[in-house]
Amino acid sequence: MKGIAHFISGVAVASFCPWAIAAAQEGNPAYFILGAVAGILPDTIDFKFYRFFYHHDIQVEPRPDQLDPQPIADAVAKAVSLTAGEKRATLKLSTARLSADNWRQYRVKIHPEIREVRVQFGPIVSTGQIPQPDSLPEPRPIGVAKFDAPILQNYESIYTVDIFDGPSFAFQENKAGQVEIDFLPWHRNWSHSLAVGLVLAAIACLWTWKAGVVIAGAYLIHLIEDQMGHMGSNILFPFTKKRLPGFKLMHSSDAFPNFSGVWLCCLLIFWNIYAANESSLYHFGFVRFIMTAMIIPFAIFGFIRWLVMLPDRNCPKDIPIGWDL
Amino acid sequence: MILVAALSVLIGTVLSCFLAILPGLHIYNVMGLAVLLIYKLQALGMAVAPEVYLPFMIGLVVGWSVLNTIPSVLLGAPDESAIFTVLPGQKYLMTGRGYEGTMMIGAGSLVGLFVLIFIIAPFAPRYLPVVRYVLSPHMHWILWVIITFILMTEWPKGGNRGPAGWRKFADAWSTLSAGLFTFILSGLFGFLLLYRTPIAIEDSFQNIMPAFVGLFAVPWCLLNALSSAKVPKQYVRDTLNINGDLLLRSGVAGGIGGGFAAFFPVVTGGIGGLLAGHATAQRDERVFLMSQGVSKVVYYTGALMLFFVPGLFLTRGGGAWILKGLYTPKTWGDYYLALGSIALAGGLSFLLMSPLTKWTLKLMKRVDYRLISVFALGIIVALAFSITGWIGLFVMTVGTGIGLIPVLFGSRRLNCLGILLLPIACNMSGIGEPIARFLGLL
Repeated sequence: MKGIAHFISGVAVASFCPWAIAAAQEGNPAYFILGAVAGILPDTIDFKFYRFFYHHDIQVEPRPDQLDPQPIADAVAKAVSLTAGEKRATLKLSTARLSADNWRQYRVKIHPEIREVRVQFGPIVSTGQIPQPDSLPEPRPIGVAKFDAPILQNYESIYTVDIFDGPSFAFQENKAGQVEIDFLPWHRNWSHSLAVGLVLAAIACLWTWKAGVVIAGAYLIHLIEDQMGHMGSNILFPFTKKRLPGFKLMHSSDAFPNFSGVWLCCLLIFWNIYAANESSLYHFGFVRFIMTAMIIPFAIFGFIRWLVMLPDRNCPKDIPIGWDL
Repeated sequence: MILVAALSVLIGTVLSCFLAILPGLHIYNVMGLAVLLIYKLQALGMAVAPEVYLPFMIGLVVGWSVLNTIPSVLLGAPDESAIFTVLPGQKYLMTGRGYEGTMMIGAGSLVGLFVLIFIIAPFAPRYLPVVRYVLSPHMHWILWVIITFILMTEWPKGGNRGPAGWRKFADAWSTLSAGLFTFILSGLFGFLLLYRTPIAIEDSFQNIMPAFVGLFAVPWCLLNALSSAKVPKQYVRDTLNINGDLLLRSGVAGGIGGGFAAFFPVVTGGIGGLLAGHATAQRDERVFLMSQGVSKVVYYTGALMLFFVPGLFLTRGGGAWILKGLYTPKTWGDYYLALGSIALAGGLSFLLMSPLTKWTLKLMKRVDYRLISVFALGIIVALAFSITGWIGLFVMTVGTGIGLIPVLFGSRRLNCLGILLLPIACNMSGIGEPIARFLGLL
């Protein structure tokens, strides 16, 4: 999920702790801040610290003025071939930045069945990943490279490289002789484990066990939320080295689950504060509250959206881009 | 009386057209001056009826909140609530689509007015008093959580290339460190202005104005004046590439962000826009631009509207605080007067958006962009000087120094809001005075 969803989930966890609300009513915001920080901390560790120290055996840095896909395809094939003898090889595909808000998109597709990798450059996209009209390069050659080892495809077969930092991969041959692909090996690894959450909670317990509970809960909710997606996390580190596959219920960037999650957390925080307030002037039950603040508005929004989208039903959502991969 | 009120709204809105085009001038400064004028008239025995000045003030705020998009996009001189529209807006400008970008935000503003009048206004008297009652003792930690969010969610922009190691880490953290540094400096600046303001006591109602202008407007004007970029030929399109779905999504995103900012103390439109953008995970640039238009209008106009909600007794935003000195709303009639004024002013200002944008583009065609930026800078400096004198200019210069840090390092400009967030969050948690004492300000 998006950072704000993890962040507010951590705050929601803190709101379930009566001592957090009691302290807040006396002017102490510490537990809520701790919950918020712990909620987003696993991603902070990965994206702000760990990834800059993660070594890659092969690093591809395409030049935006020379759109040659062949070196990229060769690099992917080379990374696969380096894994012979159960070795591990890491590869980084950098993005091609054109200006502050423009990036040249390219795609990498791995064909396990024909043992081939194909790469092609695509349109210029904004940081919002929206393709710009008439920005496809001419000509658009395809880089093709062969590899010998069989690939075990357990994530996605097409990787789109466009904005910010490009993706990285770890290739490793398993005991069956197949090469497994680990997408973003520096992400959702040890930082996304119960062990790290518990260690941080234990450190917080040196101050008070209450802080430890908030941190452990917020960290855990982050791991649970991430598990709803495709990638999963290495929850049982250091006992496991691989990520536990996600439940594939959503993509982390999907707007609706993210917004619903954030809104639900806000409502839960509100409810917990309301429930903790004994001298309440207003009285309402949880079901009525959720119906009024979430179910009915969401249903109305869904209906209106369906209505306004009726005229555009047959229109293509995005500019069609042909990929020959 | 209805005709008088309607006329007052129209005058306020038309006046706001000219004020909105002037970069750097905040409508609250003008409202402050208008209140002083009303007091003077009252002292002279010429009382002005609330039915005259309330719609006039509402017209000023609504018109300005809709039309100040024009200098934000075309002249790159935003106020705090519009800082997120500058970069995408300038992208439109630099591709010859400045009119389209401005009108897209304008369409968002119209959606914002719709959200206010048809969605928030009917439900506000019933539900907002409950929300206020429950959350009142918790405002301080909500503010701290927002500060934590601002500081923790700025992601590194650099460090994408080269071998792993400290050099890569340092490259990535250069922007983040600049952001943190900006927040801390702004926060200390805020403490200084709050506890030992150098602004003269008679100008204290404009205490924060020179600092805000320095933090947000002057750096952009300077940058535009010094830049070598040439504004390309601008094209005026009759239609916008938007549909009902995009309008709906921007309405939800901006409505929530602006509504949040209008309801919670110290949370500004810029923060509301940031939260809305994150929460709704909108990637489409058009939705982003329109949602910023929605958020801006819901924030400024909504905060003023909440002042009139029967049974809520909530004063949020500079406009409401200025009016509170003059008048306290008592009846449903006041609420309906406010809603009618908002609707009228909103409709008129949206209709004025297109001709004013075209007029500004014509001006830009005749006069060099950099010259306009220098002129805008001159207006800003003159305003700060005329309202707060030499000391105000000094405060503005300090603000400019801080405001230039994120511009030069590419970090988030919202960090400048530390000027309000840090001292007020500290005060709300009861640690403001000890910190001020530690800093030698007391």
